[in-house]
Amino acid sequence: MQTVTLSLKEKNAVPIEADSVNTDNFASKPKDEIGAILVWYGNAQVAVDDLFDVVVDGFGSVDEMKIIINGDVSRVKRIGQGMSAGEIEINSNVDMHCGSNMTGGKITINGDADSWVGCEMKGGEIVVNGNGGYYVGGGYRGEACGMKGGKITVTGNVRDYLGEHMCGGEIVVKGNAGLLPGISNNGGSIIIEGNTTMPASEMMKGTIIIKGTVLDFLPSFTEDGTEDVDGVTYRKFAGDINAGGKGVLLIK
Amino acid sequence: MSELLIKNAVVCDPINNINCVKMDISIKDGKIVESVSSGAKVIDAGGKLTMAGGVDGHTHCAGKINVGRFMSPHDMRMTNVPGLSGKEAPTATTRAQVGYNTPNAFAIGYRYAKLGYTTIGEAAIPIIGARHTHEEFEAIPILDKFGLTLFGSNWQVMEYIRDDEPEKLAAYVAWGLKASRGYGIKIVNPGGGEAWGWGKNVSGLDDPVPNFDVTPAQIITALAETNEKLNLPHSIHLHCNNLGKPGNYETTIASMKLLENLKTSRDRQAMHVTHVQFNAYAGTSWRDFESGAPQVANYVNSADHLTFDLGQVIFGPAMTMTADGPVEYANSRMLHAKWSNMDVELEDASGVVPITYSPKMFVNAVQWAIGLELALLVDDPWKVMFTTDSPNGGSFVNYPEAYTYLMSAKRRTEVIEGLPEMALGRMNLPGIDRELDLYELAIMTRAMQSKIYSMDTKGHLGVGADADIAIYDLKPDSIDTTVEYAAVKKAFSSTAYTIKGGEVVVKDGEIAMTPEGRTYWVNAKVPQANTDAMQVDLAQKFKRYYTVNQANYMVEDAYLPHPVEITTEAL
Amino acid sequence: MAVITDAICSLCGSLCDDITVTVEDNVITDVERACILGRNKFVGMFLHDRIESPMIRKNGELVDVSYEEAIDEAAKILVNSKRTLSYGWCSTSCEAISKAIQLAEETGSLIDSTANVCHGPSALAVQEKGGPSATLGVVKNRADVMIFWGCNPAHAHPRHMRRYSSFSKGFFTQKGRKDRKMIVIDVRKTDTAKIADQYVEIDQGSDYLLVTALRSAINGHEDVIPDTVAGVSKEDILKLANTLKEAKFTCVFYGMGVTQSRSKYKNGDGVSSLISDLNQHSKAVMIGMRGHYNVTGYGQVSTWETGYPMAVDFTRGAPYYNPGETGANDVLTRGDVDAAIISAADAGAHFPQDSLKYLAKIPVIQIDPYANPTTELSDVVFPAAVVGVEAEGTAYRMDGISLRMKKLIDTKFKTDEEIVVDLINKVRELKRGA
Ligand code: SF4
Ligand SMILES: [Zn+2]
Repeated sequence: MQTVTLSLKEKNAVPIEADSVNTDNFASKPKDEIGAILVWYGNAQVAVDDLFDVVVDGFGSVDEMKIIINGDVSRVKRIGQGMSAGEIEINSNVDMHCGSNMTGGKITINGDADSWVGCEMKGGEIVVNGNGGYYVGGGYRGEACGMKGGKITVTGNVRDYLGEHMCGGEIVVKGNAGLLPGISNNGGSIIIEGNTTMPASEMMKGTIIIKGTVLDFLPSFTEDGTEDVDGVTYRKFAGDINAGGKGVLLIK
Repeated sequence: MSELLIKNAVVCDPINNINCVKMDISIKDGKIVESVSSGAKVIDAGGKLTMAGGVDGHTHCAGKINVGRFMSPHDMRMTNVPGLSGKEAPTATTRAQVGYNTPNAFAIGYRYAKLGYTTIGEAAIPIIGARHTHEEFEAIPILDKFGLTLFGSNWQVMEYIRDDEPEKLAAYVAWGLKASRGYGIKIVNPGGGEAWGWGKNVSGLDDPVPNFDVTPAQIITALAETNEKLNLPHSIHLHCNNLGKPGNYETTIASMKLLENLKTSRDRQAMHVTHVQFNAYAGTSWRDFESGAPQVANYVNSADHLTFDLGQVIFGPAMTMTADGPVEYANSRMLHAKWSNMDVELEDASGVVPITYSPKMFVNAVQWAIGLELALLVDDPWKVMFTTDSPNGGSFVNYPEAYTYLMSAKRRTEVIEGLPEMALGRMNLPGIDRELDLYELAIMTRAMQSKIYSMDTKGHLGVGADADIAIYDLKPDSIDTTVEYAAVKKAFSSTAYTIKGGEVVVKDGEIAMTPEGRTYWVNAKVPQANTDAMQVDLAQKFKRYYTVNQANYMVEDAYLPHPVEITTEAL
Repeated sequence: MAVITDAICSLCGSLCDDITVTVEDNVITDVERACILGRNKFVGMFLHDRIESPMIRKNGELVDVSYEEAIDEAAKILVNSKRTLSYGWCSTSCEAISKAIQLAEETGSLIDSTANVCHGPSALAVQEKGGPSATLGVVKNRADVMIFWGCNPAHAHPRHMRRYSSFSKGFFTQKGRKDRKMIVIDVRKTDTAKIADQYVEIDQGSDYLLVTALRSAINGHEDVIPDTVAGVSKEDILKLANTLKEAKFTCVFYGMGVTQSRSKYKNGDGVSSLISDLNQHSKAVMIGMRGHYNVTGYGQVSTWETGYPMAVDFTRGAPYYNPGETGANDVLTRGDVDAAIISAADAGAHFPQDSLKYLAKIPVIQIDPYANPTTELSDVVFPAAVVGVEAEGTAYRMDGISLRMKKLIDTKFKTDEEIVVDLINKVRELKRGA
């Protein structure tokens, strides 16, 4: 087991881009090597230990790797990007693209996650103990698929375009979601426990369950009886018919 | 007065009948000369393969490609071909680079140069959009450029054909070439662009264009006659009707036959038919779809009035872009893909749709084979221009990969083994064992272009030619290209040297300098009386139908800072 | 006295190219055919506050300095910055835009256009679904149905309807307005709506709902449409859908009412899908009503030079693009940049309060012919020639047709392009020294 604790020395304004801060990149490295890993700070690259206090405890492969991040990292982007195993715990709000493209492992954010958390995610798990921003589990501009696998749980609310272009995986939002969640869903499954607006537009495949109130239900779904999930009966809709979609939308 | 001497080059120069012979090349002031002084800078090619700079006679590099870029930010980060795709930060010599199918303008210049290409031809310029094309040309570093101007659905053209006014037609085409600073006549799905103005298409050579009372066959024939009347350096450049439809090989052959008896004004083909892969489909639907390449190749072998290019498919993501508006709309509906369209007032249409060619898909697998079959079943390489119709069949950065398909049956077999069973029965490729040698490759990638575009300073290394030279890290006397295809691909992917106009622009696969290229255009002279008569009609078009004044329509000199004007006299 | 014909009006995205300008003693004394907006640009510039001299803020006051001193100071700001925002560049020439991009590339900056506050979402929509469009002349010659959705050309593009759309006459539309059905969809009855054949009033922010309902109707699923959608009755929706299906050629002109209302770019995305669906029945295209005369040109140049139409971030060397993260207001509201250069656009007048508050805190360089609210926020100011009047260059009309703007009168001021080139050279010099 190897635990690395990074504590941000001083809160930054211009964002730090920390895609190199991930378990795969840290695993089996001693403190000085981890400290020397470069991150982008504005248009220059600086070493991790210029910005963070680094404490390394133990030694281990990526599977036994845990990174703990303390301090206000609400302007540190891309933490955990592309990681394949191990664990990251962030005790702060965190900036955009946290856990994007990750294929395995787990990220826990004890705070709010800014937009694009878990975007293009392929596996693993992200838990946001707080709110999510825009495009939770979304994709990159122009790309056909956003999230393809793994699971994201947000205990609070999320903003617009949740799971945009999702092609697989699972998202659970305990609170409310903004506009157009699950737009162009092509195989993912989404559960929103709170309220939302205009869900499931252009859905091709996949399932979207909404337990709260749906505002502005889109006129592009056909009603198709009811379905019971975990003992709750939902009205079942199929669509989006304008996309020739065969997705399932369950609402109260 | 810069001099350069390339020693020990193993030269493959088909125009001058030199088949991989070790020799020296002398360069002075950007041209190839008999000899240089003893003070000349020396490059020792050390027995490496040396060819004239490649000429891509049909690529989409300026204008419509910007629509493709605009709709695909994700393309900018694609790294499908390492070293020739994806993002690169700027350096002291180079600007930032992005993209794969739709790279930014800087990357187009650098990457073609790395492949040993020094001249490229944009396949389609709408006259009213020509200023834009030339702005992008200027942004492409290193390479010389030329573009083909669209005339195949142009109102003035169709009216003159209908009204049987050949002199005015010639005057208009000459004017249109000048207005757009174009190099030749491009015809895309003749009449189809106009039909698409109403959401329709023309179904074949004899289906009249709505409201204009001319047929595609008449458009092809009349523009070909005009082409010869104007004595243009290139022939008409035809994208046939019914592109992309099963059974279209018949339309293609019928289109070719139209000009069997055309008398050409120059010693070159009467027509060039483009990206024939997309127009050599047999069958009646996608279910019984199969290769029509043998039928087309048979006809081409029997004919001596035409050349064509492949439009070879490369497996993976590509971006289709063409003035064939109805085809792109149909593609987008069939593929559930994004669709951009641009109808161009009085002149043409166009569309852009992304596509992915998968080796697992039966149709795509057969398409892949058809391009290669065309190249290998046509006996005379001087009739065949190598293209992928970049990025329609695939990005130009895949050319080295495609060369290996042409040069190695072993390599083809490897790919064929991964194709679906059903596709194998619909193609002829597994039974073809022809393997091109370096000489034939040189013909298809530079030498034949010199002839079909009448560019006597391009595509060869004889005295008087431009000193555009590619030296590849490959020794012809010690390589078996039919077996060592990995080495072939590697060598063609980044030159040891690319020399443009006598300057080393690429060394060991890295950009060494980035001079600005030139732009070739044709100023076709016609009798003033004909121009005056034509202008009366044209003035009406501008007054009533165009939304741009004639005074603001023609591309100004400012957009061609390095022009090469080719003047022709009408016959 | 000189009379210059076929001059181009460099004010709105209509880019009218039929203007006649009379110049006497290097002053424009008469303008023919331009609308009131355009006319004001040609003759009004002498009435406005021109910035007369380069200025630097010293002790809180902008004071006149030499051009060299201003270049020096501005270059220092750029070189010392971790991340600069370069913004605007839409009321200038493509040639200047190209240089501005090069400056951003060499300084590791982020560069964005005014599309950030107008039609940026249209680009995002194109990236979702494509842009099925046409040149304006196609509409003039063919369209028998035109929809103006969330735009008001009567005020913003005064000659648009006469030259290109409602009132224009073309080959298949010889009778002009009589040959066309004009429909306006908006949240309030604008002056454009007053002259339309049909006005469809929708609830604020409900564009996406209406688009969806229209698609369902056109695709033959009228059963799923409830009695009212977006404040419009089902009957009216079906009627409208039918009008579109039976049209020979439809053009949807859309404006900021579509791109800046709720669900922003998804509205344009939806319209694009609607156009695709409609082409199963008839012919249809869409054209964005771009405001600044060369905001379209910015998108074009940026796309061929960087791969992306706007919001391009060179902070890490190679360009990166992600509106929502790399847009001008994204970075200003979050305080993600530490300097700004603003040209040919008035951020001061058009940005939200949060952005302006942040701009006030960081060094700002302005290049502009006129003093405007941005000047108040600026630390280094360069006066510039008015492109399209005092300097020539290329601009793109809203439909992507490029035209060459003429130089009509002489000026003592440098062009945007010249100023940016001087900045590039100074930045290189400082970097070499460093
Ligand atoms: S409509 Fe626009 S371009 Fe035309 S004159 Fe008026 S302001 Fe100028
Ligand atoms: Zn082509």
